[in-house]
Amino acid sequence: MSYGRFLLKRGLQGIGVVWGVVTIVFMLRFITPGSAVDAVAPLDASQELRDRIAAELGLDQPLYVQYLDYLWDLLQGDMGYSYISGIEASAQVFSKLPATIELAVASSIIAIGLSIPLGVISATRRHEPADYAATTFSLVGISTPNFWLGIMLILVLSVEFGLFPTSGRAFGFGAAFSTLVNQGVGPGIDAFWQWLHHIILPAVTLGTYFTALITRLTRSGMLEELGQSYVRATRAKGLPESLVRYKHALRNTLIPVITVLGLQLGTLIGGAVITEAVFSWPGLGTTLINAINARDWPILQATLVVIGSGFVIVNLVVDAVYAYLDPQVVAE
Amino acid sequence: MTDEILKVRNLTTRFFTEEGQVNAVESVDFDVRDGETFGIVGESGSGKSVTALSLIDLVETPGRIVEGEVWYRDADLAEEHRESHPDAVDGDYVDVRQLPESTRRWLRGPAFATIFQDPMSSLNPSITVGEQIAEAVEVQRRARANPRRTRSRTQGYGLGRLLVDSVVPSRDYVSEESHERAVELLERVGIPDPEQRAEEYPHEFSGGMLQRAMVAQALAGEPDVLIADEPTTALDVTIQAQILNLLRDLQEEEDMSVVLITHNLGVIARMCQRVGVMYAGEVVERGALEDVFQNPVHPYTEGLLGSIPDIEDPAPRLSPIEGNVPSLLDSEMGEECYFADRCPKAMESCLHRIDEHEAESTVDDAAHHVRCVLANREYDESEALGPEAKQEVITDD
Amino acid sequence: MISPRTLRNLKKELRSSALAKLGIVLVLAMILVAAFAPFIALHNPTNQDLEENNLPPLGFSRTTEETSSEMVNGSLEIVNETVRINATASHPLGTNSLGQDVYSRAVYGARTSMMVGVLGTVLAAVLGVSVGLVAGFYRGRVDDALMRFADVSLAFPSLVLAIALIGLWGRAAVDVPDPFVALGIVDPVRAAFGLPTGMPDSFVLPGTVIIVVGLVNWVWFARIARGEALSIREEEYVKAARALGASDARIIGRHVLPNATTPILVLATIQVAAIILLESSLSFLGFSGTTLSWGFDISQGRGYLSSAWWIATVPGLAIVFAVIGVNLVGDWLRDALDPGIEGEGGV
Repeated sequence: MSYGRFLLKRGLQGIGVVWGVVTIVFMLRFITPGSAVDAVAPLDASQELRDRIAAELGLDQPLYVQYLDYLWDLLQGDMGYSYISGIEASAQVFSKLPATIELAVASSIIAIGLSIPLGVISATRRHEPADYAATTFSLVGISTPNFWLGIMLILVLSVEFGLFPTSGRAFGFGAAFSTLVNQGVGPGIDAFWQWLHHIILPAVTLGTYFTALITRLTRSGMLEELGQSYVRATRAKGLPESLVRYKHALRNTLIPVITVLGLQLGTLIGGAVITEAVFSWPGLGTTLINAINARDWPILQATLVVIGSGFVIVNLVVDAVYAYLDPQVVAE
Repeated sequence: MTDEILKVRNLTTRFFTEEGQVNAVESVDFDVRDGETFGIVGESGSGKSVTALSLIDLVETPGRIVEGEVWYRDADLAEEHRESHPDAVDGDYVDVRQLPESTRRWLRGPAFATIFQDPMSSLNPSITVGEQIAEAVEVQRRARANPRRTRSRTQGYGLGRLLVDSVVPSRDYVSEESHERAVELLERVGIPDPEQRAEEYPHEFSGGMLQRAMVAQALAGEPDVLIADEPTTALDVTIQAQILNLLRDLQEEEDMSVVLITHNLGVIARMCQRVGVMYAGEVVERGALEDVFQNPVHPYTEGLLGSIPDIEDPAPRLSPIEGNVPSLLDSEMGEECYFADRCPKAMESCLHRIDEHEAESTVDDAAHHVRCVLANREYDESEALGPEAKQEVITDD
Repeated sequence: MISPRTLRNLKKELRSSALAKLGIVLVLAMILVAAFAPFIALHNPTNQDLEENNLPPLGFSRTTEETSSEMVNGSLEIVNETVRINATASHPLGTNSLGQDVYSRAVYGARTSMMVGVLGTVLAAVLGVSVGLVAGFYRGRVDDALMRFADVSLAFPSLVLAIALIGLWGRAAVDVPDPFVALGIVDPVRAAFGLPTGMPDSFVLPGTVIIVVGLVNWVWFARIARGEALSIREEEYVKAARALGASDARIIGRHVLPNATTPILVLATIQVAAIILLESSLSFLGFSGTTLSWGFDISQGRGYLSSAWWIATVPGLAIVFAVIGVNLVGDWLRDALDPGIEGEGGV
């Protein structure tokens, strides 16, 4: 089938998965001990009060009615209101989303930018010091819990040497940009510096695991590709070594690497949650944890839905890139 | 006297593995003439494929060419290197092995082109066939446009650009003209609908079609010598015939020499003017096709020919050669003739190193060399090696 | 299942790889430490001693400001003293803010990580392999349905789902009596070495965590098992078994499963490493059923970075070494058995 049809098919599948996500999130409430009413009502509330609260929250309706209401509201972008703060759930969640995206994107850029060259160098200079250094780094990198790494970085770089702030996010990237536009170069650069200053440690913390993972995969993938017959045949036709390595071997190496990246996106988001906790980064992760602890269902559901859907979307993009690189996938 | 385009002298390639030193190719001599097809025939493990790889300098670790010269006739190249590498130049011939690495690489294409046994594993599965053939064309184009031995083929293709291009198909390296030429080449080798085919991927081709495409790729540099390593072994019989015919046609049109490596005697008989027989890394007999096939001197060649069923003279039993192919581990090879333990005509004088002797030749200007004492004398039963002596040869260090 | 050839490959790879040996050493060390914790720990890890809190590890010392008030000549004076606090041999790696011995907590923490890591992986494997084998063997609608379900499970990052489930289901844990203490051999041995006695007589098995961890990771096993089932079902011997009238269950159990063990085994080691990391993340965030965990200790130590950095550092190093060991063992298995696994199951 053609590439376009493949995308369409994947897209439809994605929508199906999102629907599944939404449904599971809805079901979560019913498999949990303790009802939402308990979360909202004061401890000594009378049964009458509780009934009223239940009716207000729409909890007295039959299950399927609640489900359909839920879906209908969702399609319109209405995810309810926070039990705790009363703020509209969707607004609250979407306001925190940019921070998390920023963190995820920054660490991904660091990871991909560092790891692919590292992996290639490691594979092409096998058994040399550069290789040993890279393999050691990647082994330690995938074995280190990122929250501990974050804490150690804070310990050394913030507490000891005072180079970086220990927490918080002073400026968002968007905010920094608008400062540049509206207030000129001076304040703009200052804003950007603040942003950078605050995001470096969390981004490095979150990105380390992936840098290590991708380095490992790139290295082993390259080694395997370089041992394939077509590499020898390609050299035999006179192609310079650099082209053999990069245009041919690396390209084929990246194909499975991208698959794994897609599978590991979950780890990225999970890691983001933890990193946010360590650095008090005001993103979805912090929102999620607070909502769980407080049994704030609308926020909790909204967060899970957004995370789940976002995940599906990103996976779709990864699939698209993968299919572009590996023509045999589309042919299936 | 037809001129030789390639003269191989004393080529020796060894593999230094964990288990020990493997003598894959031992003191191999042969010539290839302009416009001829020279066959190299032997069983698996005889060293024929390694010989091919050694010619184009693609022997990979733990292997290494330890000795020998590969004389290639190119007057311009000889002239260029006469001063800087006096030992490497002899008249119009250049010893390729003594040239710098970049020059040797440069020769892949215009001097030597190679097609391998399994076309599917000779191509990158994720890049179109047309693109890969165009690559070969482009490489040659750039080499010709620039002085030799320089970075002509790299053309500023640095790591950064490569990383970007590695994700996006790099049409930048390969020019439009090269793509067009690739389509022309596909047409030349008889592939129908070449523009369409060029956009397809290797897995969309049939085996025979893909091998044709490989031939097209090999032609990109207008090579003097086409090395074909088992080109038809992986193909169906009917397709085999097509490919062989294609090779013959092209050879005539291009005035190209072909080194045809195979274990199939029928293919040799069909295509080659001269042939070399390899056993245990050595060339045991070589000469004109008629000489070798009709008047074989070396008992191995005899045995090889005798093990083919003959439809016109069906014998009640085939006569295979007794014994097994010897180990090529240096520690297990002795000083005697490597075939001695299986040879029905082994004699005492076979227990020493055998040099190449010249035997009778029925063809003008095609010498008949045999690495066997029987080239110059008759078999004498009284000196025969008994079974115990042969056993000793096998087990001896 | 484990053929002689497989064993030979394993041994050969082990002999030639120094890293594989290191991995085995580290993993064995962790297993031994976890198993014999009551003997190896210096103190009862839950014993608090507020007098001895925040003691530095050997070789370090800590300074702190102590403010006290004194009556000097009839008026109240505030005296600031800089006090140096030294390490003591009885707490070689220091103590935390409650005076608990950091080393002993690290030793017992190994138990938690090991239990959750192994049991969680076993649960995920049992669930995942069953589903995967069925899906791959029967194909068709069963396969489609199960794989849809898997896709949806994967749509949630494991940590997020785990947090949600634990947060909502609670942190139920089970007290498992310590066999060594119950046998009464701990105290006499410790006394013989001059070590303080009175080790905890039970340890906490965080049941919810184990179940949740197994639930979020089953998909990786399902995929591998399904892939294997898909290819093995086409093998000749399976068709032969069918022709002889073997039941589906028998075919799956006797033919498909044994031949699928190699990649499943490699995945299992990767999963153990991932689950150890997952457990430590969960207990760091406070979503665990036990406080005797490396992750929890790190979260405790976080507030004392400038004054008592060792509280957070030691358990972290323990995690790193443990996971390095498991990863190296996983590499060894993969290199030796070469099942052609490209990806890695993740947290």
